[in-house]
Amino acid sequence: MRIRNFTLLLLILGLFFILPFVHAQGATEAQNIAEGKKVYDNSCAHCHGIEGRGDGSAAENLLPQPRDFTRGLYKIRSTESGQLPTDQDLFDIITEGMPGSSMPEWETALDADERWQVVAYIKTFYEGFKESETLPKEISLKGKIPYSKESIEIGKELYTQFACYECHGDEGRGDGTSAPTLTDEWDYKSWPANLHQNWNYRGGNDIDDIYKRFVGGIAGSAMPMFEDPAFGLSIEEAQRYTQLDNKGEMTDAEEEEYTQLEDKMANAFDILDLINAGEGDEEQKKFYEESMKTFYEKSWHLANYVKSLSPEKRPEAAIGKNSLRSQYVEDELPPMDDAVWDTLEESYFPLVGQVIIEPRQFNPTIDSVSVKSFYNDTEVAFLFIWDDRTHNTAEEENEDIGKTYEDAIAIQFPVKIPKGPTSPKPYFLWGGKLAVYLWQWQASAPEKTTELTAKGINNATEQEFQGDIETESAYSKGQYKLWVKRALETDDKKDLQLKPGVFVPIAFSLWDGANGDVGTKRVISSWYSFVLEPVPSVKRFIYPPIVALLSLGLLIGLRGFMQRRNTE
Amino acid sequence: MKKPSLFTICFAIFIVCWVFLRFFVGGVISKPIPNSVIAMYMALVFIAILVHISVEDTRFREFLRPIHETLVDENRQTRRLVFAVLIPLLMLGFTYTNIAKKANPPGDPRTVHPTPPDNLTYKDIVLGTMDEAENPHRHLEKDDPEAYKSHVENGRTVYYQNCFYCHGDHLDGKGHFADALNPLPANFQDPGVLPNFSESFFFWRISKGGPGMPAAGTPWNSAMPIWENYLTQDEIWDVILFLSDYTGYKPRTFGEGH
Repeated sequence: MRIRNFTLLLLILGLFFILPFVHAQGATEAQNIAEGKKVYDNSCAHCHGIEGRGDGSAAENLLPQPRDFTRGLYKIRSTESGQLPTDQDLFDIITEGMPGSSMPEWETALDADERWQVVAYIKTFYEGFKESETLPKEISLKGKIPYSKESIEIGKELYTQFACYECHGDEGRGDGTSAPTLTDEWDYKSWPANLHQNWNYRGGNDIDDIYKRFVGGIAGSAMPMFEDPAFGLSIEEAQRYTQLDNKGEMTDAEEEEYTQLEDKMANAFDILDLINAGEGDEEQKKFYEESMKTFYEKSWHLANYVKSLSPEKRPEAAIGKNSLRSQYVEDELPPMDDAVWDTLEESYFPLVGQVIIEPRQFNPTIDSVSVKSFYNDTEVAFLFIWDDRTHNTAEEENEDIGKTYEDAIAIQFPVKIPKGPTSPKPYFLWGGKLAVYLWQWQASAPEKTTELTAKGINNATEQEFQGDIETESAYSKGQYKLWVKRALETDDKKDLQLKPGVFVPIAFSLWDGANGDVGTKRVISSWYSFVLEPVPSVKRFIYPPIVALLSLGLLIGLRGFMQRRNTE
Repeated sequence: MKKPSLFTICFAIFIVCWVFLRFFVGGVISKPIPNSVIAMYMALVFIAILVHISVEDTRFREFLRPIHETLVDENRQTRRLVFAVLIPLLMLGFTYTNIAKKANPPGDPRTVHPTPPDNLTYKDIVLGTMDEAENPHRHLEKDDPEAYKSHVENGRTVYYQNCFYCHGDHLDGKGHFADALNPLPANFQDPGVLPNFSESFFFWRISKGGPGMPAAGTPWNSAMPIWENYLTQDEIWDVILFLSDYTGYKPRTFGEGH
């Protein structure tokens, strides 16, 4: 009896809590939209346009372009392919923004109510939101496969089976052979993601996020909803199939096995067609469901593999304790392909578009350059590594991307090292009144580094006396490597002179020819600094023991003093 | 329970003060405090303790008693040995880490308030002295709110076509280009930025950009473009109106209310 009373009380209380919300939601939908319009016009319209067409005043220079809400095509959804996003999806995108694009997070600028109001408002731009009576079907995360070495291995094979490499490249740097041909629904150039830089994934880089992109696709982009090329085969069978497929000659038994697997697949695709057409008997439905389960399993493995390609988080910029420190070696400096380079940690220099002087680059494609360095008593060697999806060695007309230019990099130093933090440096963009000293490398001459002196971005001259800069370089799988070696000190007054222990300003300019980079249109960094890390001094073995002995002596002395005073 | 000795109490106070500064003030309440500042406060605590124990002769002796005992008493042999090993070892470790520490690059000094020139100019046109030059559209706020609004809207367009890459959608200095820049772009949502400077100051900073700053403003580091090359005078004044309209902070004015 008592318990029943209690339950009743809870129910009534619960109703009290729930009712106002139910009521509020229904009655204020129109109000929400009106409020949402105010927020939208103030915060969103300059990119997405007053009428939601993605044509705001700022849109012109943005790539990816701001979403056109009137088409109802949304890239980042938790729903299945071809479906509209859920309200929560829209809310999440507004809240978190889209990394790697100009859509920022709005969590700090708008409160949750305002963000929900904007969701209500942007849905009014597309009729489809009203018409759809059933809720969009969300992608289930059931059967998630934990992140493990084994799963990554399976995912790696699936990466090949699913032909991900065609766009994303063999190692995933977005450098696949189809990469240059890709455009989005709106005919804008769109590059496949570099899977080694997951901080730029528009829809987040959790394994769940990646999985949803596979199963739901990225609408409007070239990223398709997944289709299993080995539909109906288990993971082991699919592995076996590829194995046999790659074999030059098969034995009779193998031949038979191969044909069986092919038949199984053909059968599976037939059933898939039947199911998609709304037909198929019980048994076929069951088979379809089993095969889909395998397909989801495969997608999880693949998501784990893709996750494994990037570092855990974006590396920290080479500032302060992360500064580039050239390490001392006694012997010859290692050449470019020496394994000893792998023992050094990379210093990470993030880059941005040059938007200071016309022509400008508003949509950079190079994220960063990583640098390592060794030096010995007479020379210093640097290894510069950066990702670029295409290898461009000349100015030419490309049928897919239009005019392309040569890829290049320039490493910038001051001619004279500033003595202290307050003494002037040259202007960070290729100098001004004070000159900078540059090493310029261009993809057309892979074994040559040119020394330049510049007093402004449009005022660079090749040095008359070209010093001896040994150069090696390579382009492979979407990545450039450039190795240069120079003497620490030279006779040329226009060169930078290096000494261990002195912090030297360093800055970068890079050009991705396929992105139209040429001349002032480029990606740049501001000033950083690097040092030839001094060999640790032997003092560190001498002074500490002396100090320790001294303090022991002091203790003994103090004791003696106290004892003497006691006896007195 | 035995009452703790004066030495233990003083020692405990010292440690508590340090923990309070290092982890509570510089962690819970605000950002970590530099070691030099902590050292300054700890020196004060140390002097206070010294004063406290040295006002009376007996108190001083009471304070020294445990030290004295540890050093001399026959039945404190073990404790003495532990200290004789521990203290030199600590000193050894301390000196080693100090010597072996890697040098960090010199930090860049940055003046928050670089000194503007005497005259405000746009290209070569002199617009008046820095104190007198005014935003020609500011008076519309009172005189013609509709016209004022259209100037703010124009400023908004200018801002999102040119500035938001670095200064951000929210005007908070966190644009999508910001993380590769050093110094970071100005944050207009910081209450210390707009109210502290006049509109003519902002006009100067926008029109002349990084290269126009005096040497103390480390003009060689700033990525701020010289906007007079791209924007008209009106556009610059309008974008300043937009900054203050969007954030709700008003640039300071000279002479008002005096």
